[in-house]
Amino acid sequence: MAATTTTGTADEGTGMRRIGLFRTVSAGPAFWWLVLPAFLFFLVFFVVPTVSLFALAFNKSAAGVISLSSAVTFDNFLRIFTRSIYYESILRSIGIAGAVSFICLVFGYPLAYVIAKTTNPGRNTLLMILVLSSMQLDMVIRLYGLMVLLGDNGLINAMLLRFGIISAALPLMYNVFGVIVGLVQITLPFMILSLIGVIKSIHPSLEEAARSLGASRAKAFFSVVLPLSMPGVLAGTLLVFALAISSYVVPALMGGWKVMVMPIHIYQQVAETGRWQFGAAIAVVLFLTSLMAIAVYHRAAMRTTGGRS
Amino acid sequence: MRDESPIPLIFKAISVITLAMLAIPVVIVVLAGLNAGDYLTFPPQGLSLRWVISFLTSPTFLSAYGISFLVAAISTVISTVIGAMAALFLTRAGGRVVAVLRAFFMMPIVLPGVVLGLALYVFYVSSGIGLARSLAGLVIGHVIVTCPFVIATVTAALVGFDRSLEEAARSLGASPFAAFRLVTLKIISPAISAGTIFAFIISFGQFEVTLFLSTPNLQTLPMAMYVALRYSFEPTAAAAGIFAIVLVVISMVATSRLVNLKRIFGG
Repeated sequence: MAATTTTGTADEGTGMRRIGLFRTVSAGPAFWWLVLPAFLFFLVFFVVPTVSLFALAFNKSAAGVISLSSAVTFDNFLRIFTRSIYYESILRSIGIAGAVSFICLVFGYPLAYVIAKTTNPGRNTLLMILVLSSMQLDMVIRLYGLMVLLGDNGLINAMLLRFGIISAALPLMYNVFGVIVGLVQITLPFMILSLIGVIKSIHPSLEEAARSLGASRAKAFFSVVLPLSMPGVLAGTLLVFALAISSYVVPALMGGWKVMVMPIHIYQQVAETGRWQFGAAIAVVLFLTSLMAIAVYHRAAMRTTGGRS
Repeated sequence: MRDESPIPLIFKAISVITLAMLAIPVVIVVLAGLNAGDYLTFPPQGLSLRWVISFLTSPTFLSAYGISFLVAAISTVISTVIGAMAALFLTRAGGRVVAVLRAFFMMPIVLPGVVLGLALYVFYVSSGIGLARSLAGLVIGHVIVTCPFVIATVTAALVGFDRSLEEAARSLGASPFAAFRLVTLKIISPAISAGTIFAFIISFGQFEVTLFLSTPNLQTLPMAMYVALRYSFEPTAAAAGIFAIVLVVISMVATSRLVNLKRIFGG
């Protein structure tokens, strides 16, 4: 159904515009077939599974039963919002993701600023590659490094103990602190990349003007540069929020299953107790929470691009 | 005093910390993979290749590396082909439908990976089409995750493409297909290659979607490392990590030569 509507409209569009160039794309007037494979693939393997998973959330929870029935119930959602173990995990997820966004901003902004202001092309590319490589690198590999560093017998504790600075190992991992450190490490590159463009688009003369009118460097930054980079700040913060709230692997490894956030509950419900419907309901709540963040992100991003053109 | 550096000192100081935060875990993995002891200690016990050799002879990690490579290769080919085609359509057609489609193709980025993995798993099991616990099922999940990146990369290149070049080729007598192949495809091929590399790397390091789709005999490298990390810090896993790090760095350097990184990542 959806496929016919889409292709039909696109086709009409071509017909109306009568731009000859369109024909060169596909060697024929019907160039919409280009999008068809991707569209159908997404329809079958993305839309259908996601929608049916969300529908499953409205079925009565029964261990081991996976098929969809037509009896609609809100029991799963009621359970999430009435049992403290579940609604507290929602709040915990939001709180951790919020903290991670803020920390990423504090540490990411300066580096984004440095990259934006570095004019030497070689140096600029080097910094970009550093940030991009750390974004692209397998999360589990980076977490391995962090775990060796932060564990009870890890490098930091071993070093501090050896120099007699502490007498017992500091709890740096398998707690909320460890989860936050892990998430910051994973999401920092996304924050930095969201900021570089916006900072670059701020004309240096604006800051100079503020300075020549007597503003201190800090004052010029906080009253000119920072407000002008708000679209990027907003975009980066919310992107990091969405990534942090949906991460499973970081709380699983860095929290050692002691920090119960929504993705951990989903996995437990499904893989351990076999209650697919309840797991699906938590997935719906998780998705809606991150969708709200993304909706705001999208608006901020639209503003950014609008401002640049 | 007038010739102050354009970057405040405090920013430089924090940048150094941030860069350290990004780099140190990676450096530690390399050290752990090359250390001589049974695990990485402070101070280190010296360098050796024993864990690298252990990785190269390990049935678990080597086969996981192979499976990751295979899954990434197959899903990259699929998402490059269907993604580049979709990007061509998205940049050349106009109107509301295209705007909606563009947002539609970016949706897998919004959906948490665990949720997508779970949704696919439920779909495979309940539809009974034989995709559950199969390589094909895993590849499909990876195509969904990587395709948005191919579409974004190729679209970014096509938006700046001057269509009059293709028109010129046509007016000189080239057939529509020849004009496309000789002009457009040639100009956007670096972007397609960049999209391909991104897709490969994202698939290779994908964990969250894989979680529900992999099985013990269909274990990707991130899964194998995850399992190893839950029980011990086996240096063999770190040695496997070194090979993944090398792969990523090489591909990022290659990408930076193919396309302007800043254009894709909003710089």
